[in-house]
Amino acid sequence: MNWLDLAKLALSSITSHKQRSLLTALGLIIGIAAVVILTSIGRGIHRFVLAEFTQFGTHLIAVYPGKTTTFGLSGATISTVRPLSAADAASLENLDHVLAAMPMIQGNARIEAGNKQRRANVFGVGAALPLVWQLKVDSGRFLPNDGLDNPRAFAVLGSKMRAELFGNASPLGQRIRIGSDRFRVIGVMQAKGQMLGFDLDDTVFIASGKAMEMFDRQSLMEIDLLYSSETSAESVEQAIKRRLIARHGAEDFTIITQNQMLEKMDSVLSVLTLAVAALGSISLLVGSVGILTIMTIAVSERVSEIGLLRAIGAERGVVFRLFLGEALLLSLAGGAGGVMLGIALVQLAAAFVPALPVQLAWSYIVAAFAISLGIGVAAGVAPAIKAARLNPLEALRAE
Amino acid sequence: MLSKDLLLQAGKAIQTQPLRAALIILAMSIGVASVNVLTALGDSARNYVVHEFESLGTHLVIVLPGRTETTGGHPPLFGETPRDLTLDDAAALFRSKQVAAIAPVSIGSAPVSVGGLERETNVMGSTHALLRVRHLTMAQGQFLPEADADKESSVCVIGKTISEELFAHQQAVGQWLRINDRRFRVIGVLAKEGQSIGTGFDELIIVPVASAQALFDSHSLFRILLEAHSEAAMYKAVDEVRDIIKLRHEGEDDVTVITQDSVVNTFDKILTALTFTVAGIAAVSLAVAGVLVMNVMLVSVSQRTAEIGLLKALGATQGQLQRWFLCEAALLSLAGALVGSVIGQFGILVLQWLYPNFPVALPVWARLSALAVALATGLLFGVLPARKAARLDPVAALARR
Repeated sequence: MNWLDLAKLALSSITSHKQRSLLTALGLIIGIAAVVILTSIGRGIHRFVLAEFTQFGTHLIAVYPGKTTTFGLSGATISTVRPLSAADAASLENLDHVLAAMPMIQGNARIEAGNKQRRANVFGVGAALPLVWQLKVDSGRFLPNDGLDNPRAFAVLGSKMRAELFGNASPLGQRIRIGSDRFRVIGVMQAKGQMLGFDLDDTVFIASGKAMEMFDRQSLMEIDLLYSSETSAESVEQAIKRRLIARHGAEDFTIITQNQMLEKMDSVLSVLTLAVAALGSISLLVGSVGILTIMTIAVSERVSEIGLLRAIGAERGVVFRLFLGEALLLSLAGGAGGVMLGIALVQLAAAFVPALPVQLAWSYIVAAFAISLGIGVAAGVAPAIKAARLNPLEALRAE
Repeated sequence: MLSKDLLLQAGKAIQTQPLRAALIILAMSIGVASVNVLTALGDSARNYVVHEFESLGTHLVIVLPGRTETTGGHPPLFGETPRDLTLDDAAALFRSKQVAAIAPVSIGSAPVSVGGLERETNVMGSTHALLRVRHLTMAQGQFLPEADADKESSVCVIGKTISEELFAHQQAVGQWLRINDRRFRVIGVLAKEGQSIGTGFDELIIVPVASAQALFDSHSLFRILLEAHSEAAMYKAVDEVRDIIKLRHEGEDDVTVITQDSVVNTFDKILTALTFTVAGIAAVSLAVAGVLVMNVMLVSVSQRTAEIGLLKALGATQGQLQRWFLCEAALLSLAGALVGSVIGQFGILVLQWLYPNFPVALPVWARLSALAVALATGLLFGVLPARKAARLDPVAALARR
C-alpha cells in the first residue's frame, strides 16, 4: 500500500466517526490554544517591560552611593557618610566616551502657582536630562548648564503638572513656589507617561544644586551617565570605577549598567513565559491521553476490519502504519485547529483589550504544533502495535 | 431502580473496559493533581508573605515624610521633602491616646570596622521602643536602653550576620566597633530574623537615633513606626497622627500614613488573584478531561446500543437509563479526582521535602473544590451521552444486530 492510499484510508476512518474525531481533536485544540494564548501574553508582557526600560535609551550607566553588600535597598540612598557629590558627576563627565553625566535627586514637595497647589515629585537633575533620559522639551527650554556652585532658580514642568497648575495658559516666564523657594518656569516637557509606576509627567525638574539645598542633603541619590555607542559598557564601567576610587580613596559606590539590568529582566521574563507554557502544557498532556484512549477504542472496535485486511494479504507493517497514520492525522488536525483558534483569540484580545500586551510567541507556537504531532505518534504507537499483532484468524472470528 | 443497584450496574459497566476506564481516570487525575499542586503553591506563597508582614508587628502604623497626590501611585518610599519629619514630630505623636509606642527610625549606610575587618552596612537609628514595635528578639545582651530620643550614646545592637562576620571567634557583647569615625560599644546581638521583608535585620546595626543623626549629619527621620493599642485604635490613630503633624507643619498635610494591614491586604489580594489565575489555567485541563469523558461515553453508548435496546424493551424508562449513564460518568470522574488528589498530595510532599523552609500545604477547601469541580465536569460532559442513550428507539436499537 502506498502512502497516498494509506492517508486516504486513515482519513475515511476518521470521517466515518465525525463526532468522535471532532471531540478527540477538541481535547488537543483546547490544549494547544491554551499554550498559544498563554505564551502570547507572556511574550507580550516581556516586550512591554523591556520597552519600558529601554525608552530611556540603552547606553546608560547608573552610579549609586554606598557599596551595597546587603540584598535589597542600600541605606545609602537615604543617607551615607560617603556621599556622591555634584563634583563627582562633573568629573565623570570628563571621562572618554562619556557623553553626559547627570546628577539626580528625587523628592517630594508642595508646588504653588497662583492660588493652585499640588504635591508632587521634584527631580533635581542636570542640564543633560533631555539627552540622558531621552525626554523632549515641548515648549521653552530645559534647564541651562549653570555649573555647580550657583545654579539659577529655574524650573521645568512635566506635562501633567503644567495642565494642573496652569490649565491652558502658557506657564513660560511664570513664577512658582516649590517648598519655600521661588522658581521661574522656563520650559514644559512632552508627555512621557508612566514608567513602571513613576509618573514623569506629574513632576517638576529643577537644578540638582537647588534640590540639594531644598532637601538639605549632602549626597546625590544617583548619577546617570550616557556613553557613546562606539565603546563597551564594561570599559566605561572600569573607567568610572578608577576615577571614583581615585577621588574617594575607596570603592564606596555601586555601578549598575543598563545591560546588566536588562539581562536580568530578560532572563526573569523568559522564565515567566516558560512557566505559563508549562502550565498550558498540562491540558496538552490530558489531550494526548484522549488520543490514546480513542485509538485504543478504535482498535478494539475494528478488530474484524483488521482481520479482514490481514486475511486479504495486508502485512503487519501496513496495519501498523494505518493506525499510526490515523493517530497522526487526528493530532495534526487538532494541532492545526488549536494553533488557529489560539491565534484568532490572541488577535481578538489585541483588538478588544488594547491594555493587555500580547505578542504571538512563534517559537512556542511551532513547538506546540510539533508537540501535538509527537503526541499523535506517541499515542498511536501502542494501539497500532496492538492492531498489527492481532491474529487474522482470531480477529475474523471475533465477530 | 435503587441507587445501590444503579451504582453496582455502572460499576460493572466500567469493569468490563478496564483499560479505557484507566485512561479516563488518568486524564482526570492529571488535571486534579495539577490544580491541587498549583493551588497549594499559590496559597502557601500568600500565607508566607502575609505571615512575614504580620511578623513586622501588630497594629503597626507607619508615618512617611512626603505625599503625592497622584492617584493610584505608591507612597514615596524614599525621597526627600523640604519639611522633614523630626524627633520633635515623633514625640508630639504621643498626644494621640491611641498610640502605645513610638519608634522613630533614621537609616543610612556607613563603613563599620573592628580591628582590621571592615564592611559597608546599613545603620539604623532608633529607640528602645523599636524592640516592641517591630517584635524583635535578642540573642544575647540587651536592646538599646530606655532613654530620651534626643540623647546620644555610644552603644549599639548588631544583627546576627554582622556579629558572625566581625566577631567570628569571640563574644560580641562588650566589644567596641567603629562606625565611620565614631566608636560604639556592642550591648546586644539580635536573634536571627532570616530573610524578612523590609529591612534585613541580620545585616543591620542599630544605634540610638540621636547618634545616627549626628553620624549622618542630618535631622530628618526616614519614618516613624507606631504601635496602636488595638486594631480599632489603629484606624483612629491614622487620623490623629495626620492632624498632629498638620498642626506642627503649619497646616500642611505633608506626610503619608499607612497601616500595616493595608499593606498586608494589598499583597493578600495580589497573591490570591495569582493563585486563582494559576489554578484556573490548570483547570482548563479538567475541561479537556471532561471532553474525553464525553467522547468515551458517547462511544460506549453507540457500542452498547443493543444492550440499551434490550433494557428499554424490558421496560427501563428514559430517566433510569439517563441516570445509569450519568452515574457511570460520575464514577469515572470521581475515581479520577480521588487518584488525582493522591498524586497531588504526593507532589506536595515532594515539594515539602525539597523546600523544608517554605511551608507548602493545601487548604481543605481547595482540595474539596478540586474534587467538586472534577465531579461536576464529569457530570456536565456526561449529560449528552446519557441523553443520547435514553432517547434511543428500542426497536431500532434491538434491530441493529
